[in-house]
Amino acid sequence: MAAVPRGPRSDPPAGARFFCTAGRGLEPFLTREVRARLAATQVEYISGKVFFTTCSDLNMLKKLKSAERLFLLIKKQLPLNVSSGSKGKIFNEMQRLINDDPESWLKAISIWKNLELDAKKEKLSQKDANPLKRKMGENDVIVAKKLETEQMHEIRENKECQLEKQIEAAALEQGHRITKRQEFLEEDLQKDAVGSRTHSDLTFRVSCRCSGAIAKTFTAQEVGRVFGIALMKQFGWKADLRNPNLEVFIHLSDIYSVVGIPMFRVPLASRAYIKTAGLRSTTAWAMACLAEIKAGAFVLDPMCGLGTILLEAAKEWPDVYYVGADVSDSQLLGACDNLKAAGLKDKIELIKASVTELPLPSESVDTIISDIPFGKKFKLGEDIKSILQEMERVLHIGGTAVLLLSEDHCRRLRDHGGTSIPLNCREGHAGEPGSEECLNPEGKTGISDPVSPSFAASNQDSLDRMPPFGSLVPVECYKVSLGKTDAFMCKYKKLHSPGP
Amino acid sequence: MKLLTHNLLSSHVRGVGPRGFPLRLQATEVRINPVEFNPDFVARMIPKVEWAALLEAADTLHLIEVPKEPIEGYEHDEEFLRKMHHILLEVEVLEGTLQCPESGRLFPISRGIPNMLLSDEETET
Repeated sequence: MAAVPRGPRSDPPAGARFFCTAGRGLEPFLTREVRARLAATQVEYISGKVFFTTCSDLNMLKKLKSAERLFLLIKKQLPLNVSSGSKGKIFNEMQRLINDDPESWLKAISIWKNLELDAKKEKLSQKDANPLKRKMGENDVIVAKKLETEQMHEIRENKECQLEKQIEAAALEQGHRITKRQEFLEEDLQKDAVGSRTHSDLTFRVSCRCSGAIAKTFTAQEVGRVFGIALMKQFGWKADLRNPNLEVFIHLSDIYSVVGIPMFRVPLASRAYIKTAGLRSTTAWAMACLAEIKAGAFVLDPMCGLGTILLEAAKEWPDVYYVGADVSDSQLLGACDNLKAAGLKDKIELIKASVTELPLPSESVDTIISDIPFGKKFKLGEDIKSILQEMERVLHIGGTAVLLLSEDHCRRLRDHGGTSIPLNCREGHAGEPGSEECLNPEGKTGISDPVSPSFAASNQDSLDRMPPFGSLVPVECYKVSLGKTDAFMCKYKKLHSPGP
Repeated sequence: MKLLTHNLLSSHVRGVGPRGFPLRLQATEVRINPVEFNPDFVARMIPKVEWAALLEAADTLHLIEVPKEPIEGYEHDEEFLRKMHHILLEVEVLEGTLQCPESGRLFPISRGIPNMLLSDEETET
């Protein structure tokens, strides 16, 4: 390694390698975000995860808006070979993730410790400097609790498993190992230097997620146990399922094996400033990002609900005039509460109005962002056309509308356009989870849309073949997952006045 | 509701068209709500302002020191921008009405939120 100084920070010299989990379909947004916000390098993504290298500290990393959770990467490698061999052989392979290269583990632990230490120092100095911050902290806890329950669902869905009991049981079964480890510990006490190098005072737990072929052969518990025992053996760490220093996250799938350390207990996606979220915050942020809001713009969400999109937008792009409209008093009251809690009451105005009858002059709005409701609760059906007509009317020429549409909405709009070209959004993220590897997200692998060559430059292979709606021309379209359902994030530009 | 928002709202009663602007403001409760001064943002809002409508609204609320029109080089005139900041962003109408100048239809403002919903009859074609 050349001893060339790499910028002001000496630790970690060339930056640390991280990965974030992301909602399906948001990976391109996160890819762009880590580059822009963290000056990240070596950015690549696979379905549901974005990997990158950055020198940013935890404070900067915490600012990521389109990610679910952040992990420090310990290891990423090709999938385990499951098809051949016995369970025992595969267990061996799992152990080798640790035993073959303990250095990468220790290196990651050192980086993790440094990052945590920096963050703690900063917190302390902040506390001294700013007693007002305390209140925010309290909110944090509430949000964290709320999220824990949310996560529980997710975890169940993902067959993810906190392997508390299993490891404990395993540890008991193998009592002799524990004695061994104690010997280890005693040794460590004497050899302090060695101890700090292997971090043998650490307590840990493993959370494991299996998908694809491996999930058919093993339960997450089994895998977690193997890793737990291997870690105890290799490094002398203690399993502590309740309150460990370190959490080790493992995801084994058909396309990769990934091991990392979660950097924050509360997911990045849960915002301290959002009291009650409607739309998922990451999706809301991505929509605002896609809208390319300019300073001084007039931005409207004509179906604002609890105001999640406006909150996300106003936090990131403050010098903008935001208006939210809704027909429901209860939603408006909820939005009002949310704005107050976020301290954004000054930035966002609320009005009670219908999206199909907006009390605004024609061509008065720069940007519209809206999550168009669908599902059982809403029977908008045919109304999607009148909604778009009204949006078209109030938008300035050159204005932008970013809409979250259901497949049903898209079908209706396509029928409206009278073309039989099938909806052709990027299906890569739509099929089997993790079925497609796209390590070149910004690449020009796409089919540029023949309808609007002027926008082909936006190199969005995800551009959908949806017909224009009057003067509203679709310029980008992303298929994103909303959990149970999928939706399309479509960006329209108003090109010219509609004909007479 | 801020006066900046009033300056933008238009009556959408069927058949009214552009004659639905500006809405006549009546206020029964007004609050002055301090907002952090952001000269750049205010300067960007100035070109969007319909002055006649703003002056009328400010007059209804008996606001003083309202600039009669944008002045030359306002982007760098802090005094002007501060006045506009106050008028556009700090004056909050909490209770009152907005009236369509063409049809006379009244829209109530309650708890700072104007209710611009039309009844079914008003929107029917």
